[in-house]
Formats: sequence, structure tokens, C-alpha cells
Amino acid sequence: MTQARRHDRRPQPRRPRWLDPRGRHLGTWAFVANRLTGLGLVAYLYLHLVILSTLLRGPEAWDGLVELFRRPVFLTFDLLLVAGLAFHGLNGLRVALVGSGLLVDWHRALLVAAGILVGLVTLVAAVRILA
Amino acid sequence: MATQIIKEDFSEASRWRRRPRPTFAWLAQVVSGVLLLVLLTVHMVAQHFVVEGGLRTYADVVAWIRNPIVFATEALLLICVTWHGIAGVHAVLLDLGLRGRAERIVARALLDLAVATILYGLWLLYAIAFRS
Repeated sequence: MTQARRHDRRPQPRRPRWLDPRGRHLGTWAFVANRLTGLGLVAYLYLHLVILSTLLRGPEAWDGLVELFRRPVFLTFDLLLVAGLAFHGLNGLRVALVGSGLLVDWHRALLVAAGILVGLVTLVAAVRILA
Repeated sequence: MATQIIKEDFSEASRWRRRPRPTFAWLAQVVSGVLLLVLLTVHMVAQHFVVEGGLRTYADVVAWIRNPIVFATEALLLICVTWHGIAGVHAVLLDLGLRGRAERIVARALLDLAVATILYGLWLLYAIAFRS
């Protein structure tokens, strides 16, 4: 029996396998994190458009909002956003490479490298945003 | 029954030759993703990291967006990020088991949402740059 036919006989899961955390490997956690950061970033895209729409209400409305966004709670949110963007972008690049059949044997090393880069980007952003 | 040992070539080159043919959705997601890595890095650095206090004042935003290169870059970013995001949501819904007629309806709704988002975003860019 070939691998493909064995695969076809597997029962179809009722829920997505990536939502089930049991017995998962590092790569699956990265996949789940990629999905979750992606959904968060889509939500932020629409929030961003709503915020930018304030520019249509003139200088007072926008400049007032800028003052509000300089408060620590919003700066912390900015840092979270940068970390999410960096993870989704760099891990997404890894997924694109491995999914295209490139550097398949290096997928764990690529994930570690992506993790280190995300940490560095977040650190630089923290210094720039919070300092 | 004798055990038959089948030797298979699992080298990277062999896997590359035998890889499944990529779908349009996959290729579009990869291309838009790579573009986004560049465009978002430019956006975050130019719009936030090099700006005093992280955000431009109203007058500075308008002057910045009126630069044709900035306008074009932000428009391209908007198109890429909307496509990538909406296609990502579609992929998640497929993961959740959406199939058949419901999938076609949702896919159509997501496409309409993407078009509406891009049109609104482009109009917003234009309004900020030239009607402020």
C-alpha cells in the first residue's frame, strides 16, 4: 500500500488538527502561532483603517489621537504589534521556503533563526518605542 | 512472507522534482507575503521608527503622503496586505472545514470585502493627500 492510499483512508477530522495542542511538534506550534498572529493582524488592519480615517476630521482630531497613542498602554500594544508582525513575516518566509520544497531539512534551524530574529527586532523596537 | 526493502530517494533535489504543483492561491500568498516583508519594513521604519515620537502630526502626514513615491508605496502595501490577509482568513476557514456552497458564498463575500477594503483605502489615501 502506498503512502498516498494510506493517507486517503484516514478519517477526516471534525475540527482542524492545528487547534488540538496534544502531542504536537515545534513546527505545528509555529503553524498555529502563524495562524493566530495572522488573524490578529487582519483585525489590526481594519482597526488601522478606522484610526487613519480620523485624518478626514482634520488636524485637531488627528493630533489629539496622536497624543493619546503616546501613552504607555498604547506603546506596549505597538510593541506587541511589532513582535507579531516580525514573527508572522519571518516564520511565513520559513513556511514559504519549506512549503516550496526548499531547505526542508533545515526547517527546525530556520524556525530557531526566525525566533532569534524576532527577539532581536522586538528588542530594538522596545528600545526605540519605550525609551 | 519476505520483507521487501524499497529504496526511495528522499534527497532535497528529489523532493523538489516530485513536489505537488503549487496552486495559484499558494503562489499569490507567497508572492504577496514576500512583498509585504519589504513594504511593511519600509512602512514601519519610514512612518514610525525614524519619526520623533513614533507618529507624524496632521500636517506632516499630509505632506508625507503627497510624495508620489510614498503614495504609490502605501497603495501597493494596502493592496498586498488586504489580499494576503483575506486569503489567509479564507485558508483558516477551509481549515475549519468550510466546504461546498457555504464555502463559495463565504469566498465571494471575502472577495467583495477585499475589493471594498482596497477601494476605501485608496480613496482614503487620495482624500488625505489631496483633499486635506
